[in-house]
Amino acid sequence: MTKKQTAKFLNFRYKILALILVVLAGGLVLLPKYQKNEGIKPEQLLANTISLERYISTDQMAHKLISQDPSFILVDVRDENSYNSYTLPNAINIPLKKLLDDESKAYLNQNQFDVVFFSNDHYYADQAWILCNRLGFKNLRVLKGGLNHWFKTIINPPKPTEDMPEEAYSLYDTRKAASMFFGVVYPDQVQSNEVETPKIAPKKIITVKKKKKVAEGGC
Amino acid sequence: MKELEKVKNISIASTLFILAVIIGLLTYKRPKNTFALNTKTALEKITSDSFFVPLVNVNNQNYKLIDVRSSYEFDKGHLDTAINISTPEILKEANLEIFKSLKKAGKTVVLYGNNPEEVNTTLLILYQLGYNNVKLLKAEISYLQNRLITKNSDIEKSEKDIAEFIKESTKNADSSSVIQIVTPPKKVITVKQKKKKTAEGGC
Repeated sequence: MTKKQTAKFLNFRYKILALILVVLAGGLVLLPKYQKNEGIKPEQLLANTISLERYISTDQMAHKLISQDPSFILVDVRDENSYNSYTLPNAINIPLKKLLDDESKAYLNQNQFDVVFFSNDHYYADQAWILCNRLGFKNLRVLKGGLNHWFKTIINPPKPTEDMPEEAYSLYDTRKAASMFFGVVYPDQVQSNEVETPKIAPKKIITVKKKKKVAEGGC
Repeated sequence: MKELEKVKNISIASTLFILAVIIGLLTYKRPKNTFALNTKTALEKITSDSFFVPLVNVNNQNYKLIDVRSSYEFDKGHLDTAINISTPEILKEANLEIFKSLKKAGKTVVLYGNNPEEVNTTLLILYQLGYNNVKLLKAEISYLQNRLITKNSDIEKSEKDIAEFIKESTKNADSSSVIQIVTPPKKVITVKQKKKKTAEGGC
């Protein structure tokens, strides 16, 4: 009788042991995450990099600014001095060094607005883009050519020569009108009439809700 | 009879166990490429280190030139001693082997393309993968009568003081007459913060 019971017990124990081992082995499939490997995979990042859809042209940007498109935030990644001397209307300043601060992340990591990075060229803007893209932030764009190109195309558009097609003229007219919107005054414009000194567009106030304090427990 | 059953159970359990382990090992694929830096340290290094190699130093013995343009453009013309690894192919195994061996040999990898901006992202991916010997050639490439021309290129240099230009344009205009300019109204944008769940207390 005792022999039978022990045999039964042993039988039962083996089953449990086997079950534990099978579960443990199954656990091997789930792998520990690599701490340094935060964000998306390198292959994915490379694929995102090759696609040039992140770039937004200066003409598109001017159009958005003039039509007061509310769907985007302009982020100036240059240092504070250059930001203070000139920046695009309503842009906010996040110097590249402060890109991953918690304060900046509130602007960058959200789904409400498109984020458009720009700098003098698009070199630093691309750097900001690649880091944020790796972290999986959405709706990131880069102003192609940056402020240098902005100046060349929108602020000071080249006059088309006579051998150019009609499109060049209409493009020039659009750009010239845009540059007037951004504060440039042309001599021929003055002769007609008009009043008031030009003002640079007022800065957009972007308020970020401060983090709520941790709810404190109590009775 | 009982003994026999016991042995049977053990053998079934052990084979199942071994099978599970084998399947686990077979399906376990270690990610081929892993980042060596997290984004915070990458940002610190990016903002503090200099990645630029000026064009005059191009013949340094310690440099290995790599052309990241497409093979078609590479065939059209390239710098002497350069090899071609186009950007979409940098993560291929054979190419990573090249980068690894160059790092081991203590050589500096100098990447170049049509302009520095184009190479920028390629360099940053390699850099974040742990190849800290990659640098960037400060040069622009263009063609004149089918001959390759390299030109030094300034990175992120502000070409024109735009604020000054706008001021100048208003000065040039007649000061007596004034210009009406539509100013966009102030916009207030609030960014909703993602709510962090906080432990709520209670009794």
